[in-house]
Amino acid sequence: MKIKNPNYSNLFRIVFFLVLVFLNNNILHGQEDMQDASIVLSFSDESNTKMITATVTDPLGNPAAEVELYFYVQRTFSLLPIGKGFNETDENGILEIQFPNDLPGDMEGNLTIITKIIESDLYNDLTIETIKKWGIPTHIKDTTHQRSLWAASANAPLTLIILVSGMILAIWFINCYIIFVLYKISKIKPIIS
Amino acid sequence: MRSKDLKTQEFKTAREKDLLRHIISTSLKYKLWIGLLIVINLVGMYAYYRQVKFGLIVTAMRDYTSWGIYISNFVFFVAISLVGSLFSSILKLNKNIWARPLIRISEIIAVSAIICAAVIIIIDMGRPDRFFFVLTHFRIQSPIIWDVIIISTYLVISILLLYISVLPDIAICRDQLTSVSNWKKRLYRVLGINWTNQPEQVTKLKKVSKILSVAVLPVAFAIHTVTSWLFATTWRPGWDSTNLGPYFVSGAFMAGAAIIIIAMFFIRNELKLKAYITVMHFDKMGKLLVLLSLVYLYFNINEYLGPAFKMVGVEGEHISELFVGKYAPMYWFVQLGGLILPIIFLMFAKMRKPLPVVIISFFVILGAWFKRFLIVIPSLQHPYLPIQGVDESYLHYNPTWEEWAITISSFTSLLLLITLLIKLFPIIPLKKEKLDIKLDVKPNN
Repeated sequence: MKIKNPNYSNLFRIVFFLVLVFLNNNILHGQEDMQDASIVLSFSDESNTKMITATVTDPLGNPAAEVELYFYVQRTFSLLPIGKGFNETDENGILEIQFPNDLPGDMEGNLTIITKIIESDLYNDLTIETIKKWGIPTHIKDTTHQRSLWAASANAPLTLIILVSGMILAIWFINCYIIFVLYKISKIKPIIS
Repeated sequence: MRSKDLKTQEFKTAREKDLLRHIISTSLKYKLWIGLLIVINLVGMYAYYRQVKFGLIVTAMRDYTSWGIYISNFVFFVAISLVGSLFSSILKLNKNIWARPLIRISEIIAVSAIICAAVIIIIDMGRPDRFFFVLTHFRIQSPIIWDVIIISTYLVISILLLYISVLPDIAICRDQLTSVSNWKKRLYRVLGINWTNQPEQVTKLKKVSKILSVAVLPVAFAIHTVTSWLFATTWRPGWDSTNLGPYFVSGAFMAGAAIIIIAMFFIRNELKLKAYITVMHFDKMGKLLVLLSLVYLYFNINEYLGPAFKMVGVEGEHISELFVGKYAPMYWFVQLGGLILPIIFLMFAKMRKPLPVVIISFFVILGAWFKRFLIVIPSLQHPYLPIQGVDESYLHYNPTWEEWAITISSFTSLLLLITLLIKLFPIIPLKKEKLDIKLDVKPNN
């Protein structure tokens, strides 16, 4: 009778699985150590150079160094990244970026500046929205109430109304005149000689 | 034939007898013809009942091909309605006396065709009950509104043209046709509006006739140009062309001339009017058809040469589909059988005899109908902005039996209207024309 050798590979698999569970648990547990950072933004606009200074601190108020920040401006369909490709706070928790001068804003020149901490190793995700009058005011032509081919019937182009109405009136005047002449024909009495 | 009625009826002249007898007598052939047309119309009405009940889903029209054979048929009807202006205006103002006997036929065809065109456009609507919204919520900027306005205007002008042309003869019918039924007598009395051939009446009628002959021309050009703009103002391959207006108008005159030849042939044979519609008329109409076809050929070359030379994007796909693709057999039949070969054949005098010219005209008409199909449908299957994940049924268009039944019954409606109008009124003026005197036209008996 042949005696089977103990199956070591299965044992190895179980141990490996337990190690994985332990590590995963550790990672999950580790995430609880993530902190909420706070960002203070200050804006300066001197001699036509717009700068944003972000000061990042940890919950205890200590400067948070080497925190990666992302700056965006809200556009119609997406976020426009600004600053350098990679923006990180210095040892004092301070980061300074230059803001472009040529971004179109709303009718008053307002722009929504968004500052984010995304997927940091130490801090939770954070988004700050600031509205700043740093854009070029956009004058949107409100065409809904203007006369155009695509407007509602009440706002049809005057030239079109005059042209079409003129043609319709001219031809229907002729039609009506002919019907009138036919009426007059019907009223002509035969000459009795 | 109600020969009894014909025997009791007295005619002043042989000409009157020839031109009025079809109003009095009704042959079995006529009744069978009317019966056949009504039966086909009933089938069409049943198909339309199904369309109203279940909606446009019973048709093959989908998001891509949203204009099917109804609209191509509409364009065809508008096209042949232009024939009224060809005779009542162009030929009349150019003093073509030979064409005078054909004016009424052309006006009857114009009135009938424009009525059918107006009806077919309502049939194309999924919710015909909403038609009046077009009038109550109309936008002057919309080419569709221009079309509604111009069609109703042209309908009124065509009716006036027909009426003015036939008025003196209605009075003769009123005064002389004693053996017709009472409703006809009443109709002639109402339509005769006290016409007694007074010099003042004649002068006034001639005056309005002249005004209308001039007024109808811009309206006729406008009706088909505006119809072409329905396409030209829509952004689709094959329609994005500045050539579309004259292309449509010239095609319409060609189709109109062909349909007059066919109508002439049958009216001449059935109403025994060989002395009035002569071989000379067929010869002249054949020549006119060649001229109009050549103009249309010129616009065809303009329409296709540019895009075919460039073959840009979807425009190129559209051209390929017409020239060598799935619509190629129809396209080449239309261009060769319905345009180029008729031009070549009709250049020979022998081919302008009644029978050959009528056969050729049939091909021209067939070509003209399929031409409208080719203008409307392949363009719709190539949108500039394709829909993503499009349903398979959008990519093809094979009309359903309901669409064919309704379309065929629109033709039978046209024939029914033409037949009924011919039955009511003399088709050739009772007054002897100058040309008749010159040619010494002898009545049949």
